[in-house]
Amino acid sequence: MVKVSGHSTWPEWIYIGVVVALLVWVGAEAWNVERLIEHVPADAQIIKVTGQQWFWTFEHADGTKEIGELHLQKGKPYKFEITSKDVIHSFNIPDYVVLQDAVPGRINTVWFVPKDTGEFPIQCREYCGLIHYNMRGTLYVEDTA
Amino acid sequence: MSHTEHIEPIFRTSPERTAKMMAIMLGISVVGAAIFFGMWDYWISAPPVAGLGPAAQQPTAPVAVTGKEIQVSLSFVESADFRTLAFNALPGEPDNNPDIHANVGDKIIFDVVNSGKSFHAFGVTQEDEGFTGIIAGSEIASASNPLRPNQSGQSEFIPTKEGTYYYICTVPGHREQGMVGQIIVGPKQSSGTQTVKPTGASHNFEFNFVESSDFRTLGFNALPGEAGSNPEIRVKAGDSVTVKVTNTGKSFHSFGVVTNPEDFNSIVWNSAISSASNPLKPGQSGDVTFTAGATGTYYYICTVPGHSIQGMQGKFIVE
Amino acid sequence: MVLEIQKPRPIWQIMFSTHHTDVGLLYLITSLAALFMGGALALAIRLELFFPGAQIIADSMTFNRMFTVHGTTLIFLFILPFASAIGNYLIPIMVRYKDMAYPKLNAIAFWMIPPGFALIWLGFADFTWNAYAPYSIISAPGPAADMWIFGLKILGVSSILGAINFIVTILKCKHPDLPLSKIPLLAWAYLTSSLIMIVAMPTFAAALLMLLTDRLAVSGFFNPAMGGDPIAYQHLFWFTFHPEVYVLVIPAIGFMYEIIPRFSRKPIFSHSSGVAAFILLSIVGFASWAHHMYASGMSFTEKTVFMVGTLAAVPASAMHVFNFLATMWGGRIRFATPMMWSVGGIALFFSAGAGGVVNSAMPLDFVTHDSYWVVGHFHLFVMGTIAFGSFGFLYYIFPYVTGRMYNEKWGNIHFITSFIGAVMIFFTQHVLGLYGMPRRIFDYPPFPEWIAMNQFASIGGMLLGVSAAIFLANMIYSSAKGKEANMDDPWGIGGKYYYPYQQKNPHH
Repeated sequence: MVKVSGHSTWPEWIYIGVVVALLVWVGAEAWNVERLIEHVPADAQIIKVTGQQWFWTFEHADGTKEIGELHLQKGKPYKFEITSKDVIHSFNIPDYVVLQDAVPGRINTVWFVPKDTGEFPIQCREYCGLIHYNMRGTLYVEDTA
Repeated sequence: MSHTEHIEPIFRTSPERTAKMMAIMLGISVVGAAIFFGMWDYWISAPPVAGLGPAAQQPTAPVAVTGKEIQVSLSFVESADFRTLAFNALPGEPDNNPDIHANVGDKIIFDVVNSGKSFHAFGVTQEDEGFTGIIAGSEIASASNPLRPNQSGQSEFIPTKEGTYYYICTVPGHREQGMVGQIIVGPKQSSGTQTVKPTGASHNFEFNFVESSDFRTLGFNALPGEAGSNPEIRVKAGDSVTVKVTNTGKSFHSFGVVTNPEDFNSIVWNSAISSASNPLKPGQSGDVTFTAGATGTYYYICTVPGHSIQGMQGKFIVE
Repeated sequence: MVLEIQKPRPIWQIMFSTHHTDVGLLYLITSLAALFMGGALALAIRLELFFPGAQIIADSMTFNRMFTVHGTTLIFLFILPFASAIGNYLIPIMVRYKDMAYPKLNAIAFWMIPPGFALIWLGFADFTWNAYAPYSIISAPGPAADMWIFGLKILGVSSILGAINFIVTILKCKHPDLPLSKIPLLAWAYLTSSLIMIVAMPTFAAALLMLLTDRLAVSGFFNPAMGGDPIAYQHLFWFTFHPEVYVLVIPAIGFMYEIIPRFSRKPIFSHSSGVAAFILLSIVGFASWAHHMYASGMSFTEKTVFMVGTLAAVPASAMHVFNFLATMWGGRIRFATPMMWSVGGIALFFSAGAGGVVNSAMPLDFVTHDSYWVVGHFHLFVMGTIAFGSFGFLYYIFPYVTGRMYNEKWGNIHFITSFIGAVMIFFTQHVLGLYGMPRRIFDYPPFPEWIAMNQFASIGGMLLGVSAAIFLANMIYSSAKGKEANMDDPWGIGGKYYYPYQQKNPHH
């Protein structure tokens, strides 16, 4: 190794090697996990989500519409098709790490399986103006009838 | 370093100099603050031109509905090689891209089905090329969420001016491939099939815009579900109606009687009080007097986008 | 040798001067004013968020305007001008030249800052410092929004002009006996950050123009109603502003390269490693921009590409940390105020980077995106690294500029309160983000965990406010009445205070 600094450089190379190894591991794990979570199950029910200033509306596969509330069943996979009517919002159910921007002019998708019954907050995660802070809804997960 | 420092004395910052500096900075800040706070409302007073929507950018006269309805059935068809597209029939065959004739104020009701194998969407525009400028209320699905094979949808269109409009498939490129037809609009008929003579009777209605504390539910006079919310209005055709609205909420609102409660542009009879782009602020009131037109079921709504769906709508029935 | 004044001169003479020391002083004063004004907004924000419900701020529109101007001010009116200030002062000295390459252009670049400052502060726009379309096009009210656009346009041009000046001075005006590889690391920091700036900034200039024409409805670049794509704006924005964050941090790292070796009384561990790290960071920094857009609907492949680009930039930063620690190791450290700030800055830089690796991992970003985790993360960079490095360097250069010493005890207290305050706020905000609290919200539901963490963070904010007051008092009092500094060696650390070639202001 060319000695440019007049003293030993091997500690630095080892340190960089450790850092790079760590980052490669993070990258590989992240790649793998993302690959798994982007695979939408074939039997996922489609829920259309529309964000607009400043509330969420939902449409179930059978045409039922809800405003501000979403009633789903425990254990079933659901795929959200998310869009916006005006500005960019972001559909977020933090308890289930459901997060995807609602962009006007396009439809973004994300899927999940609600594992627990209960009430969970829905919030907007992209600044959308005056009432962004209160663009909230509630997810109700019920036992399968 | 020694060659420079043995001759010159070193000067240090003095209190006077520091004081002068602070005075200048403070002075600038005070002047700036005076300008800013003195015109507090001005800096955020104008909605952007792009935000007013196509309807407001080219202000048109409010729609005067004649009451006549024209039903039109259309289907998306494709040639076997997908290179030629059309409505109802391919070029050369009868009923290809049929012309629609109407007069100003007529309501054209579209029923469109996708009889092809590809994806389509529908809309009416005044532009003679391209897929933009779609008139609100006339759209069925959209390019990014289209009608799949065998799916269908309905929409309405009321022309406000004489001339030629176009009904198109709004998927980019499909118009150029042939999916376009003309709507030829003639002048407003001076009297429709239902003439509306002023009856001489007059009514006064007062509404308050109310909001839930989390802004998610809205209503007239009371929130939906509570007593007195969104009262049903009944008048006779030709009655004079005066409406006064007061904004008792914390947000912005405006008023209008519309044919379609989800289309805030379908205001009839010049019944608008303020508008979404110039709304009533909290505490403000406004009023309007108009003559109720042809019989039918209309709706009075808050014409700020979204507010009608959130609860600010009530029936306005003309008998 | 005192730079700012060898004898008291009329202030107007400083204002109209094109000499690099005078322009440097003007940048310095402006940037410090912006620091306090933007910081005051932050204090108000933290006070408001102490409890759910409205406290001191009347409505959400005011709150939205406050955090927009807070971010815009501190980035464009504090960090960048402060770096320009120090660069102006020291680059000619470091390359042994008499002034900047283009002195008049230099002065013009400074004088574009006050109009930009005025436009941003008078308008007080509300669409966040990102100004995402379509909100900024169809919903953000004017004239505030348009003033912000014009203000940033002017500031962008100013930055580019300054960057050109720095690059030409360093590359073309350096003393013939001075090889590029031997110029100080601070000069390398300015060279690389200026190169990033001129490559990255024009993209945003284009985006700003498109934003303006879209607002006027004469174009539809980002407006879906006119056939445009809002995500295009995000690409243009982040293509500039991801490299831009390196423009912000690299000078601060350069400041630490000046302070740490001197106060450790040891040469820098590896000059060439520092140079390599700066060059590597500036190049790789262009490959990661869309990690800000993981949730906007990108495909798996796109996200992977940007994740790799993001991770690739980490080793370069790690090299700097190693360099600093290896320099301090075995040194006879004098823990004066500048050194404290630099060491604290390295610690927080490391923490910020560690949190950043979490964000870069695609699936983990869906937990943290647009939540308070991100706020904590980037504030550890801009406050913890950049502001700390800047404060340290400000204390370091204080005797140089004023001929007096600041009060060491109060300088240390400033550091300690700032460090504790910064940790209280920004580490807590990481956890707050994990609990799901979104960014840019005026009010939040009364979840007990959110309330507790917000209150803890706000107390940290008060501490920062107190430390800022201490700082301001120290600076003002010491400029006026501080003890006269020993200009050869103000801290008594032995060795040279500054470079062998001392600068003379031609007006004197």
